Amino acid sequence: MATLKELKTKISSVKNTQKTTRAMKLVSTAKLKRAEESLLLSRDYAKKINEVMNEISAKLCSIKDTISLRAFANINEIKKIDLIVVSADKGLCGGFNHHTIKATLNKINELKNKNIKIRLKVIGKKAIEYFKFTGIEMYEEYIGLSSSPDYEKAAQIIEKSYNDFVNEEIDNIIIIHNGYVNKLTQEVYIQELLPVDVSETDSQEFLEVEPNDDYEIILEELVKKYIEYSMYYVLLDSLAGEHSARMQAMDAATNNAKEMVHQLTLEFNKARQEAVTRELIEIVTAIEAMKKK
Amino acid sequence: MKLDIVTPLGRVFKDEITEATFPGSEGEFGVLDGHSPLVTNLKPGVITIKKSDGKKEIIAINWGYVEVTPDHVNVLVDGAVPIAGPDESSIAQAIEKAKQLLKDATDSDALVATVSAKIENVARNL
Repeated sequence: MATLKELKTKISSVKNTQKTTRAMKLVSTAKLKRAEESLLLSRDYAKKINEVMNEISAKLCSIKDTISLRAFANINEIKKIDLIVVSADKGLCGGFNHHTIKATLNKINELKNKNIKIRLKVIGKKAIEYFKFTGIEMYEEYIGLSSSPDYEKAAQIIEKSYNDFVNEEIDNIIIIHNGYVNKLTQEVYIQELLPVDVSETDSQEFLEVEPNDDYEIILEELVKKYIEYSMYYVLLDSLAGEHSARMQAMDAATNNAKEMVHQLTLEFNKARQEAVTRELIEIVTAIEAMKKK
Repeated sequence: MKLDIVTPLGRVFKDEITEATFPGSEGEFGVLDGHSPLVTNLKPGVITIKKSDGKKEIIAINWGYVEVTPDHVNVLVDGAVPIAGPDESSIAQAIEKAKQLLKDATDSDALVATVSAKIENVARNL
């Protein structure tokens, strides 16, 4: 049985923790709001670029075979790929990072079974720490990007991969991240970026491309933008997911702390009452003993 | 005809328009209703828009990709600054921002100078 003093310190320490978690929840809520806003603004661009990509690839279907861009080519044998993992820089967000890492490990095993070589590029401190700890080799590491997404930096990372893809050093780029669905749910997404899917459609609309002689330049620019943007979007999505996960985790922690304080207070009261009763009995017995004399 | 201009950081413009001029990589071109389908790159410059209600608007861009179909125009840009504002000082600020955007986007001083002159010219008539 714990003494009264011990219980008292325990209660105050749990209360302190509760204060911290509540503050963290509030901070996350505010940050989530901002992350959500930038995500929503960015969704317009996402929709448009997908629309444009689809329209153009559908229209270019007839000349598909003449396009020599590797991004549109059919790659039959995949030997080496870039695996980009996006996690958070900070912990205390429930299973958020763990889910991403787990999905990554599954994917790595799956690819290894197919004899595909992997270049692992990791964004976010938590995943980097994990892979370092388990001794999984990383090709590139980036810290600080997942807490403040930046279009330029995102573009730089993916451009390296794209250039390697064009030079036939790698055959695909896969991005894994834990994305934001709504305030209560996150979902792990595994995206294969290349080659660009050219879907067959019947519409053989006339499409003029300027400059006429080199539509490949235009297509390449578009594909580049498309994957650059995908990378940036993943970062935004991951950040929003992180904040929503942290908000939830901290909310749960605050509730748990509250429950714990309640339990401990009960215990404290019981112990106090016991002490009082014991003292009373002692006094009463002492008096009784004295009377008999 | 619908015009939609988006950047990775958000939407800049979406409205019904009657006419628009773009700084295409092969030279400036105008688009009217019923234009034949076209895709092309844009170079740093300004997009001049005439809205359905007759109002004019200009937007400076640093890079872009435009897709024209007979009934709508989609423009994807990296960075865009609309030259607009409630009073003169905010317009002046927007012009400064636009110039900075152009300077960052290109090394050619001549291009920056021509486009800046154009922006100021149009802004005077706003």
